[in-house]
Amino acid sequence: MNAGDVGSLAPELALTAGGVLILLADAFLPAARRAFTGLALLACGAAAWAAVARTPAGASFGGLLEATPVTRALSLVVLLAAAISLLASQGYLRRERILTGEYHALLLWCAAGLLLMLRATELLTVFLSLELLSLCLYPLAAFHRRVNLATEAAIKYFLMGAFVSAFVLYGIALVYGATGSTRFEAIARAFHSGGAAVAGVPGTPGISVLASLGVLLLVAGFGFKMSVVPFHAWAPDTYQGAPSPFVAFLSVAPKAASAMVLFRVLEAVTMGAGGIAGGRWSRVVALLAVASMVTGNLLALAQRDIKRMLAYSGIAHMGYLLLALVVLDRRSLGPVVVYLLAYVLMNSGAFAVVAMLYARPGEQHLISDLAGWGYRFPLLGACLTVSMLSLAGIPPTLGFFGKYLVFLNAVSDGLTGLAVVGVLASLVGVFYYLRVVYVLYMRPETRQPEGLLIDGWGRAAAVLAALGTLALGIWPARLLDWLLQGPLRP
Amino acid sequence: MDALLALALGDTLTRLVFFPAAACLPLLFFRREAFRAVKVYALAVSLVELALGAGYVWTHAGGGFARLAGDGAYRWIPSYGARYELAMDGISMPLVVLTVLLLPIVLLASFRGIDRHWRSFAASFLLLTTGVLGTLLAADVLLFYVFWEVMLVPMYLLIGIWGGERRIYAAVKFFLFTMAGSLLMLVAILWMGWTYHGAAGAWSFAYRDLLRLDLPPHAQLWLFAAFALAFAIKVPIFPFHTWLPDAHVEAPTGGSVILAGILLKLGTYGFLRFALPLFPRAAAAARPLLVSLALVGILYGALVAWVQVDMKKLVAYSSIAHLGFVMLGLFAFDLVAWQGALLQMVNHGLSTGALFLCVGMLYDRRHTKLFAEFGGLAKVMPLFAFFLVFATLASVGLPALNGFAGEFLILAGSYRTLGWPAAVATFGIVLAAIYLLKLLQLTLWGPITKDANRTLKDLSAREIWTLVPLCVLMLWIGVVPETFLKPSRAALDGVLTAYQQRMAAPVASAPALLRPAATEAAARVPEGSPR
Repeated sequence: MNAGDVGSLAPELALTAGGVLILLADAFLPAARRAFTGLALLACGAAAWAAVARTPAGASFGGLLEATPVTRALSLVVLLAAAISLLASQGYLRRERILTGEYHALLLWCAAGLLLMLRATELLTVFLSLELLSLCLYPLAAFHRRVNLATEAAIKYFLMGAFVSAFVLYGIALVYGATGSTRFEAIARAFHSGGAAVAGVPGTPGISVLASLGVLLLVAGFGFKMSVVPFHAWAPDTYQGAPSPFVAFLSVAPKAASAMVLFRVLEAVTMGAGGIAGGRWSRVVALLAVASMVTGNLLALAQRDIKRMLAYSGIAHMGYLLLALVVLDRRSLGPVVVYLLAYVLMNSGAFAVVAMLYARPGEQHLISDLAGWGYRFPLLGACLTVSMLSLAGIPPTLGFFGKYLVFLNAVSDGLTGLAVVGVLASLVGVFYYLRVVYVLYMRPETRQPEGLLIDGWGRAAAVLAALGTLALGIWPARLLDWLLQGPLRP
Repeated sequence: MDALLALALGDTLTRLVFFPAAACLPLLFFRREAFRAVKVYALAVSLVELALGAGYVWTHAGGGFARLAGDGAYRWIPSYGARYELAMDGISMPLVVLTVLLLPIVLLASFRGIDRHWRSFAASFLLLTTGVLGTLLAADVLLFYVFWEVMLVPMYLLIGIWGGERRIYAAVKFFLFTMAGSLLMLVAILWMGWTYHGAAGAWSFAYRDLLRLDLPPHAQLWLFAAFALAFAIKVPIFPFHTWLPDAHVEAPTGGSVILAGILLKLGTYGFLRFALPLFPRAAAAARPLLVSLALVGILYGALVAWVQVDMKKLVAYSSIAHLGFVMLGLFAFDLVAWQGALLQMVNHGLSTGALFLCVGMLYDRRHTKLFAEFGGLAKVMPLFAFFLVFATLASVGLPALNGFAGEFLILAGSYRTLGWPAAVATFGIVLAAIYLLKLLQLTLWGPITKDANRTLKDLSAREIWTLVPLCVLMLWIGVVPETFLKPSRAALDGVLTAYQQRMAAPVASAPALLRPAATEAAARVPEGSPR
């Protein structure tokens, strides 16, 4: 380890230090609690700056971590999610009288775990960062500890998450047993040579069943974090119970990092094995994608609770995202990054508004409760409308653009059939996203706003997300140019 | 940046398209209840937009609108070859003029009927105008798709917020039907972009680039099906029409006028601009099917209109019949028929727009649209009677009014190439006379049966001013159709010639070939802007 290695950790260090500082301030200066949001935002900003300017591209820690333009872009996506979530949190925490420093510290550490996970090129590092992430996510899900629903949600999440951690660890062990390494490049080599031994025999596993089983466990583990069908069951319950501003983070950031890990795992397996195993894993991913798109959209149709609806819609969105990973090449990552950015802006924006407009977290967040509020809260209503239209994939929003890239990628991989399934599934989506718009503007008010706390920070979060969604949707050129530098050029 | 500013401020299509959207921003600064100020502001904006549109057409009339010409192409999403390019030719010009003309009229007509949320109402209309104009003027297929979808949201809000009793059902149905068609079109567009990438080595969705693609027949068939579905739902052609009566009946008057006057034309425009030139072989193969559907539409629409008890529904179903004529003309592949079809698109916008306005005026007074509630209105509302008779006769196709010119050209042209279907379609005109005269008879003539009708006020000056421009144009087109036929002739001829050339060329066998740009008759000349 040398100074350069430590320097490459600058973003994570900034986040961790910010978290520790907030905890200390919470202990010694409890009066300053209102300043924590600003402090945490500063830490995020510093981490973003460090990730862009101070982390040199390339490997560090002897190749355990590797910074690329993609990880850099995804780091920013994660930090953006953290920032929107933090902005939306202050009002919520004050309203619920649970404003303490732990919340901010845990959120920052989650982000640190995610940044580490994005850059990890080795399975044990991945696992370490996954644990750092998960151990911070569980208490955050249960943060509203006086509310039974929140506790229940957190326990569900914890139990399933613990299983998944075990799966991932077992998968790592199997892969290590079969290939002799935990590094992705070495695993790829092993798969490659294993594949070479039986080349030309389609359908035969190129490498031992052991390793395939291990990879399957890894896919299941990170599929769980991404909430793709059939590993999605936790998402609606957890989203419903967990604090809404935290869900703005939970519903997007871990998915971004997990998508990256999934890409690395699949890349190691398929690029190494040539076409043989590649075709097999393509089918697995395609199956997961179709199942997620169809199931997520159909189940979302039936939801009355806006958070559960967004949970199922999130499942569907991860299905669209997986379309880009069915045929793996360097081109796949551009659509993935753009889609995740779009998803952060629209989904976190939606949850930020939800956090402000629903005052009783223990109860249901009925969509119909928003009736007529588009006129009572014009700004928040407009922001939520933009989020919904973007989630539905209607131009000129970034959500449309993300879908466009994903489907274009699918079509140019020769997967027109999958793209057609995708657009038909998103037609179902249009129906339930529009329902929110309909309730906001076309139904008479049914309830008076009570106990709401709509603060400037929260408004800023909603406006930031909505404006970002619109501006980048209308003018994505600069963003794309910057994101798709070098190896990502389509 | 300078280029952007020049585009936004110069005498350009960009300014024409985005001025209404930009004019929405000041609406934020009006007080919520300041309806009067908002009305005046919106009307002023629409009149400026009308002046911009008329000015643009006037200054560019020298070129004869023979080819797509406009602001030039700009990079929009360079990594994927999408360009920002607006261009106008003789096909889009009449529809653009119709759009900017109808905008102030519908705003003026809504002054009385709309009593809620005027800021949002004005914003919806202005954004809708931007969407419509963008759709008509986009010279890049992806850009076209973006505008196509952008139109949906304001129209959804217009029907859903200010509509009638079953407005939610109608709004959602409208949105889902249209979206269902257009999503498959998106996949088709992506597939074409990718195919172009494979053939030319670079991404492009530009209309003139995609025109050069020589696709094998089976690929054309799939792509044509995807495009045609989107457009057929919009027109709407017979089996896809069920959203239309609902949307029309529930939409507020202004929404109905825009819907009938312009939105439906985007379907037929899409056929003429995209589906026919891009996939000529598939279009030729689908011709029997689409001609039959057009005939069914003409007769079915007319018969169903005949039995309606609701005035607005009658006019809505008459739209299906009239658009059937347009479709018949398009699939005749004949210059005269195409001219008639384009003219009929405008005609239908004028006369059906006027009919919807008249129905709306009655609705404003009596809050009902049922025939049973009216009768004998000619005695109490002579001015109204005059305008309703005028619009009805135009719609029937009385010589010297606009409907006759369009329908005659369509029938004459399609008889040349299609034969008996044109003869069948003629029955549609007879039926149109029956149901439209029924409309007159049940509302205007006869004794006054309801006491509420005895005290109805005749048209106000505002209402007269919404109808006068339409009537003047109807008369003008009827008497001197050449004024309106001339600007579109060269452009239509170009598209038709290109179509015939491509049908004469050997069938493509490879997945996709690029034809040399020189043989492309419909290719536009870029106006010297940086690509």
